[in-house]
Amino acid sequence: MTFYVKVLEIACLFTILVLGAYLMTGLTGLFSLGQGGFVSIGAYTAAIAYLHLHIPFPIAILMAVLMGALIGFLIGIPTLRLHRDYFLLVTFGFGEMVRAALLHLAQLTGGALGIAGIPQLVGLPMILISIVLITLFIANLKRSRFGRNCIAIRDDELAASLMGIHVYGHKMKVFVLSSAITSYGGALYAFLIMFIEPNLFNWLESAKLIIITFVGGVNSITGAIATSIIYYSFGEFFRFVDVWRDVLLALAVLFVTLFRPKGLFGGWEFSLSRLFSKREER
Amino acid sequence: MDVLSIQGMSKNFGGVSAVSDFSMIQKEREITGIIGPNGAGKTTVFNLVTGVYPLDSGRIFFYGKEITGWPCHRITALGITRTFQNIRLFRNLNVLDNLRVAYGVKTRYTLWEEMIRYPRVTRQEREAEALAKEYLRYLGLEGYSQAFPYNLPYGLQRRLELARALMAHPRLLLLDEPGAGLNPREIRELMETLLKIQEEKRISMIIVEHHMELVMNICKTIHVLNFGKKIAEGTPEEIQRNQQVLQAYLGDQI
Repeated sequence: MTFYVKVLEIACLFTILVLGAYLMTGLTGLFSLGQGGFVSIGAYTAAIAYLHLHIPFPIAILMAVLMGALIGFLIGIPTLRLHRDYFLLVTFGFGEMVRAALLHLAQLTGGALGIAGIPQLVGLPMILISIVLITLFIANLKRSRFGRNCIAIRDDELAASLMGIHVYGHKMKVFVLSSAITSYGGALYAFLIMFIEPNLFNWLESAKLIIITFVGGVNSITGAIATSIIYYSFGEFFRFVDVWRDVLLALAVLFVTLFRPKGLFGGWEFSLSRLFSKREER
Repeated sequence: MDVLSIQGMSKNFGGVSAVSDFSMIQKEREITGIIGPNGAGKTTVFNLVTGVYPLDSGRIFFYGKEITGWPCHRITALGITRTFQNIRLFRNLNVLDNLRVAYGVKTRYTLWEEMIRYPRVTRQEREAEALAKEYLRYLGLEGYSQAFPYNLPYGLQRRLELARALMAHPRLLLLDEPGAGLNPREIRELMETLLKIQEEKRISMIIVEHHMELVMNICKTIHVLNFGKKIAEGTPEEIQRNQQVLQAYLGDQI
């Protein structure tokens, strides 16, 4: 039983990170390989605040979120003016920079040894509540002006700006929000796994977030969540296939891009109200 | 008051003069045409007015307010919207949402209210939807609201672009070759539609177009561009008789 709880905890935690990536890459089309940087920033901020500065747990988490948002804002100022591939390169550099900084600021971060002895203050209930709330927030954003503007920017930046969207400002909002969500995920990570080190989330892990978003379908939050839960729990159940896991993932990605280019879920979204209204019709 | 006043506008692209010393005045509720051979700089005029490129020199005024150097989104919010020569709809948004994007400039709610679906958001979204449906009906697109734009026939895509532009509540509408790729029947429908919009919505329009029938029938004033320079300006009758214009279009008489 505990095994399943653990698997679910991990899968849901990573799904929070996928949701952060979904907002940025899925909806807005900003390819960032720096999500890992924000996971680390969140995790280290919360852990250091709690262990070294003796700040209460909820405030430590809040600090992690604010720190993520602030750094997202600062990084966003120069990078969001860049075009696709350049943005990707710069965020990639940012992620690696955070990793290097954490390694070398050993007095504060413990360097390569990481930070151990973080108490486990996060459990399944908190993770589940978080994921429900974040999903709700993003789903609400997606079906009103904010989400439409994101998709408009992804489809055609010039047309979007000529329809009255402040493209740079909107990207900034997306970037800050996504960084905050990702840092929140990182903070939860620290208090769930109880140990963090600079390599906890490298750029390959960041790339996986983007891949999951695309396999699920960039127009579907449902797709992102379902794919993420399957991917991150699948890994735990199929430990025996070992290194072939990545081969299987690559094959899955290949088949999805070939046969369902819009992702597994396309533009389909799960909807409670639709579920109920259909029942009434019968 | 003049809707739009352009004074001595110039733009070079790496030594090629795309528009040079172009001036014009757009009067309230009139339809003005800009014509000229391919590459004459017609679309560049639109790109300069809507802020896509910065001007090299010259000034632009909209209802007496200087908008030179403003970013695109602010110019749109102020009341100038446009359509595109090569259709630029949002392919991942359905027809209804394409229109609602344009209504964003009129929407008043904050990000935080959106996140928790505050009642104000629901109310304004419903307003936007009702208005969008009205415009779809207005342009004969009812029944397509859930379709995706690039699944529509070409003629309807053109009309959808027009509907989207109207949704932003412009005071000046810039139409970049609205008749391109349309058959003669569709051109006539377009003409009727444009005249109807001018009459009912009280919107001024500038049209860049190659279809002479369209331009000559609905424009009050026509500006002719050739190699970025204005070579003539006048009523359709004057333009049709203008020697320089004939030369630019047909070449020198031998």
